[in-house]
Amino acid sequence: MQLERKRKELEEQGIGVAALTYDPAETLATFAERVDIGYPLLSDPGSEIIKRFGILNESVPTDHQFYGIPHPGEYWLDADGRVTAKFFEQSHQDRFTAGRTLVRLFDAEAGPSATRIETQHLTATAWASDEEVRGGNRIALVVDLELPEKMHVYAPSVEGYIPIDWQAEDVEGLDYFAVEYPEAQMLRLDAINETVPVYEGSLRLIRDVRLGQPDDLAHLVENGRVTLRGKLRYQACDDKVCYLPQTIDLEWTLGLESHDRMRVE
Amino acid sequence: MASAQATIPTGPDVGETVPTFEASDHLGRTQTLSSLQGKNGLLLIFSRSVDW
Repeated sequence: MQLERKRKELEEQGIGVAALTYDPAETLATFAERVDIGYPLLSDPGSEIIKRFGILNESVPTDHQFYGIPHPGEYWLDADGRVTAKFFEQSHQDRFTAGRTLVRLFDAEAGPSATRIETQHLTATAWASDEEVRGGNRIALVVDLELPEKMHVYAPSVEGYIPIDWQAEDVEGLDYFAVEYPEAQMLRLDAINETVPVYEGSLRLIRDVRLGQPDDLAHLVENGRVTLRGKLRYQACDDKVCYLPQTIDLEWTLGLESHDRMRVE
Repeated sequence: MASAQATIPTGPDVGETVPTFEASDHLGRTQTLSSLQGKNGLLLIFSRSVDW
């Protein structure tokens, strides 16, 4: 269960976890034993709480076996019960993972499968918000860059220099979303009387990727793992010299879980 | 699947507080928002059914 793995991180962040279904408590108890879930499963027979939240799936007829199901989704609540984020499947395709939210809301750290590349200008650490994924998951890919003192690279908005650029591979079964670059710092280059947008020190680049359904991913899978690839292009300069533009290869390897038919995560 | 479906209802918006509730959990304990949350809040998931 994906969420069970993230539960420790959530605990460290002081965030509780609970899932709610319209199943009777006994059904949930049997399930919890079988699957070894470490957080409360809440029983809402009659879907009263589901209705109170306003998320009853009203396209299901009242005499249907599944009447009472909600539109599935999740709320991230602060200590006052206020919604800080929510994720609902607008289609059957979009399943945000808890790992992705941890990266985006809580400044998570690189996981154990992170890969590190050192060039003469910087260190790049590539990691994914989730070590194990399922078809349909939308996760976050991260590239953390560390530049030594006095080194800078150029931000995407720069003119006249090669801007930093994270290129995703164009591959069927993976939908990449736009990279989020941090805000650039303006650097004055006195020698040439220019001010340019740069990155210095540490920076984090994030982009989402949505994995396709199992059939679409099959061609990428080897030994139950799927490898995502990208390239990072940049031009680095220090206070004396500009170096030739570089392109480094990035890689993220994810375990692919088989589709468990249980929906509670 | 409908190609142009209306946006689904998703309940309380960001910034709003959620309705109060009380529910039994799988161990028979009565739970509320206060009993479930950690010091920094709660991730509350609504799922279809464990028998799905």
